[in-house]
Amino acid sequence: MTPPRLTSARQPLRLLQDRVATGLITAGGVGVLLAILAIGIFLVWEALPLLAIGDTLALAKLSPLAWGTLKAALAALLFAIPVALGAAIYSALFMSPRLRTRIKPALEMMEAVPGVVVGFIAGLILAPWVERHLTSALVLIIWLPLSAGLAGLLWQLAKTRLRRRLPLSWAGLWLVPWLVFMVAIALWLAPWFEQQWLGGDLRHLLDQRFGIDYATRNAMIVGIAMGFAVIPSIYSLAEDALADVPASLIEGAQALGASRWQALWKVALTAAGPGIFSAVMIGAGRAVGETMIVLMASGNTALFSASPFEGMRSMAAAIAIELPEASPGGQTYHLLILAALVLFIFTFLVNTLAEVVRQRLRRRYRQMGGIS
Amino acid sequence: MTSASARVVSRAARFSRLNTLWPWLCAASVALSLLMLGALLTLLLVRGLGHFWPATLEEVTLSSGETFAGHAVREVPLPQQEGDERLYFTGNQDIEGARWRWVAIEQIVERAQPTDLIRIDRSPWGDFIGHLVAIEQGDQRWAGDAAWQQLTALLALPASQRQAGQLLLTTVDGQTLRQPLANVASAQAPNTMAWRQKTYAWGEGVWRFLSEGPRAANTHGGVWPAIFGTVLMVILMSVIVTPFGVLAAIYLNEIAHQGRLTRLVRIGVRNLAGVPSIVYGVFGLGVFVYGIGGSLDEWFFSDTLPSPTFGTGGLLWASLTLALLTLPVVIVATEEGLARIPEAQREGAVALGATRLEMLTRIVLPMAAPAMLTGVILAVARAAGEVAPLMLVGVAKLAPQMPIDGEFPYLHLERKFMHLGYHLFDTAFHGEDVQAAIPLVYATALLLVLIVLMLNITAIFLRHYLSRQRGNEC
Amino acid sequence: MNTPVHTLLTQASPLPLKRFLLRWMVIILALVAPLASGQPAAISGTLGAVGSDTMAGLMLRWGETLTTRHPDVTLQFQASGSASAPPALMAGTTRLGPMSRPMTADERDNFIERYGYPPLELKVARDALIVVVHRHNPLRALTRQQVDAIFSTSRACGGETPIRRWEQLPATRDWSFGRIALHGRNLASGTHGLFQERALCDGQFRSDISEHPGSSAVVAAVGESANAMGYAGFNHLTPAVHAVSLYNDDGTAVPPDEAAIQNGDYPLSRYLYLYVNLPPGETLPPAEEALLALILSDEGQQIARASGFVPLTTDVLNAQQIQ
Repeated sequence: MTPPRLTSARQPLRLLQDRVATGLITAGGVGVLLAILAIGIFLVWEALPLLAIGDTLALAKLSPLAWGTLKAALAALLFAIPVALGAAIYSALFMSPRLRTRIKPALEMMEAVPGVVVGFIAGLILAPWVERHLTSALVLIIWLPLSAGLAGLLWQLAKTRLRRRLPLSWAGLWLVPWLVFMVAIALWLAPWFEQQWLGGDLRHLLDQRFGIDYATRNAMIVGIAMGFAVIPSIYSLAEDALADVPASLIEGAQALGASRWQALWKVALTAAGPGIFSAVMIGAGRAVGETMIVLMASGNTALFSASPFEGMRSMAAAIAIELPEASPGGQTYHLLILAALVLFIFTFLVNTLAEVVRQRLRRRYRQMGGIS
Repeated sequence: MTSASARVVSRAARFSRLNTLWPWLCAASVALSLLMLGALLTLLLVRGLGHFWPATLEEVTLSSGETFAGHAVREVPLPQQEGDERLYFTGNQDIEGARWRWVAIEQIVERAQPTDLIRIDRSPWGDFIGHLVAIEQGDQRWAGDAAWQQLTALLALPASQRQAGQLLLTTVDGQTLRQPLANVASAQAPNTMAWRQKTYAWGEGVWRFLSEGPRAANTHGGVWPAIFGTVLMVILMSVIVTPFGVLAAIYLNEIAHQGRLTRLVRIGVRNLAGVPSIVYGVFGLGVFVYGIGGSLDEWFFSDTLPSPTFGTGGLLWASLTLALLTLPVVIVATEEGLARIPEAQREGAVALGATRLEMLTRIVLPMAAPAMLTGVILAVARAAGEVAPLMLVGVAKLAPQMPIDGEFPYLHLERKFMHLGYHLFDTAFHGEDVQAAIPLVYATALLLVLIVLMLNITAIFLRHYLSRQRGNEC
Repeated sequence: MNTPVHTLLTQASPLPLKRFLLRWMVIILALVAPLASGQPAAISGTLGAVGSDTMAGLMLRWGETLTTRHPDVTLQFQASGSASAPPALMAGTTRLGPMSRPMTADERDNFIERYGYPPLELKVARDALIVVVHRHNPLRALTRQQVDAIFSTSRACGGETPIRRWEQLPATRDWSFGRIALHGRNLASGTHGLFQERALCDGQFRSDISEHPGSSAVVAAVGESANAMGYAGFNHLTPAVHAVSLYNDDGTAVPPDEAAIQNGDYPLSRYLYLYVNLPPGETLPPAEEALLALILSDEGQQIARASGFVPLTTDVLNAQQIQ
């Protein structure tokens, strides 16, 4: 250490203070990081007895739960990926910037809706409604994308003045009343459709003709509800990735004769591909670990079934209901801790993968931006 | 040759027309997401707030000659038959044994709305719907209209000044009931109320929901203890998480050597934000409750064993678990704030002879303060809506004892507490009667969503303000 | 309300004179005070109970009724399952342990070992497990073999074939809802265990039963879908569902109504208990005393009825009041 140039009585005290503070901060920081590390160590430690014995019976109990977790996550992603990516593509590439600054926070608000609220709506309100109006629900699922296409066709046939008043860049907003209108039409026509084509009762038909069972709380309901919860996280990350694609890439492609859509589809999507992948991974991680929605909307049946109309039980939900009652040290306790460990490892790996891909992508963009 | 190229062009044109539909599908995704969010919020608003609006009471006569009074709740189609059936809320649980009645619509002969039908909210039996015959207070007795006026006058008084008395009530099918005045919370004659009175009654209902505790085994009353528990838990959590989160962020960003290890740690911290909340709950139960809590009990509270003091879920463990859960949020937000501060500021401070501590406390931390605040608000928003880990570490179905009271040491960290999110789950799935609880569940859900959305919007504005400020600086 | 206080207090064993006089003064005060002021006697204290979650609502109702009468009494109920009551009683954190089943011999022995006297066992109400179907379902009665064949894979009660579809039951041959959708409670609940023991003859549950975290959720789910069947506690019965009769051992179909549950004709009925830590020859604190008096009074039993349980027969009540 160089001797202090300003001779002041406070100088040694200042240096001491500084050294102590640095030590404290280091201790605090390392302590926090160790505490975080402790989660993993604890889970492994508590699950070890079970793994060491290699208790196959216990592991067999876990497998329907693992399947249920995957099934719920898949159902959610099946709904969330198209919607979230569509929304991300639209808001990154087509939407008017003024609208975008409003819409993006609004969609990210979806993430703030607590899982317990979504689960309540899905389990106690949506599930019984869908059961009573199964045909309407299925018709809606097919009808809504079609009606969006219909809107596009009509728009192209429309007069220029109308087109100017309802531009594509604001379509995210003015399509809302159109969709409401289309939902109303679908709900109005569905009973007639069921009467004419499905012999009056779809559930009866499913049961008699195909032997398909319909449970009130099933994978479809969980998919929609958890999809709702997962859409914002996928959307937000994918949108960032798409918006960060250097404009020079798209302009270059268009200069080489590609149509706007081709330029976007072939160039922008390819360039942002890793970012979109990591967005989907993060969404998958969230879907695997979501507890309350699955607990309230899945029916909790420990089944091995791939049917979208049957329920499942997920690991997270099983932990939430059974662990408070399990006596510490017992077999159920260790089994549930093992389930938590599996969840922890899975989400940690998926998130790390996503993070690494994202960082690599960011570096690549920086290089591209540097060259152009 | 030319015709071939023309064919190619026309195919390409058709293709491009089809291609132009893709943006519409994408636009529809945005519209659909907005629609779902809007539908959810509207549903919560309408059903949550609508519950407190005084509903018109009907006297229904069936084709069998039976009559009952109540208000219509909803209609569903009959299974395997034509037609619908309607659900009526009929109250009078102590007389009928049930509060509900399903009636096929075609059985209904007459629906009248007599003006003298009243609805009385009592404890512990909830609503009574029927007629008021008389009030007896000591030797005095009022009957008819005078009884109603006397009742409203009495209920306007504070509970302590009311004299004991009895209400003589009859249901529409003629059963009589004597109701002690002490158990009556409020009375309404909704069929005679003007919309202004109804608005007033609605406001009163909302206020009571927010300020009272649950009654009648959680099917009536309000959610005040749950609001209190949620807020207290969240405050304790932020008191714990803020210093540690900020310390860790400062360490990672300012002190640690920026090498490969630090980068790995940073990725690790970021990923912990994606670890399911239930895993934190398991950790909290295993380490805090059974591990630390169990040991504390053995050392300090051995006289009450085997019944646990700290060895069971409680306020302290819940706050600690949620603090751990939200730690990554605070660290990441604070680090972002720290990274935004231009290196020149730090170098300038050091060049003027400041020690690292002075540089941090005088220059860096004040500049990063809004970012930290954003992080803490986001953490609070996440913690307020989280239920799954709490189910493992200390939330209670009904905790009539608040965690803060006049008894030493005033703040009881070992007590279980009520939480809005868990209260919602509990009333919707564990309660006595789901149908009766659903309006309250809607109201609770609305309250929870509003709290969480408000916190998030605050964080968004703060962050927006922050990035604009930074834009001005650079 | 005053009579039971009296009888409970005078359960006599030899006492020192001073305490004897004190006790009589308390009784006289309790009897006279209401007459004098028109208000009930002021009783204060904390009422703690730890135990069954089935009885949580019932205990709360009793407690609420008591607190409206004695505002100084505070309640502290923990409902985490019947199994939590014996340890809490032994630890002395509570004197009241509500349980939805009788204590096992082990639990009782442990208590005696700790205190040297058995806990006072009070039967406070009757309850039953019911099998429910949708309110429009024509099914009215099931034999125990049928219940077992519907809910279990083991058919330990002697059913011949598993019953999966509504058409397999004679009463619902025309009920075209295909497969029976089953609903029940989760593994940790006492209802789950009791149903397994009494209705499945200790057999194995099917794996496709929806397991709900609460009895009311079971009833709500069955009330929403026409092809559903489930089991729940009697107190959760709502008009949205219909509780089917069960055949008892002598071959008559017994509906789960008050009379049949009260006298035990209905096969899946049971008592609800309240265990009290009461050393022989001592009296309880006034708050506990008042609660017990309330529970065993007609008013308390009416509260049990309105909570969805079944009141005790007067014989049982009288026997316990004397006790």
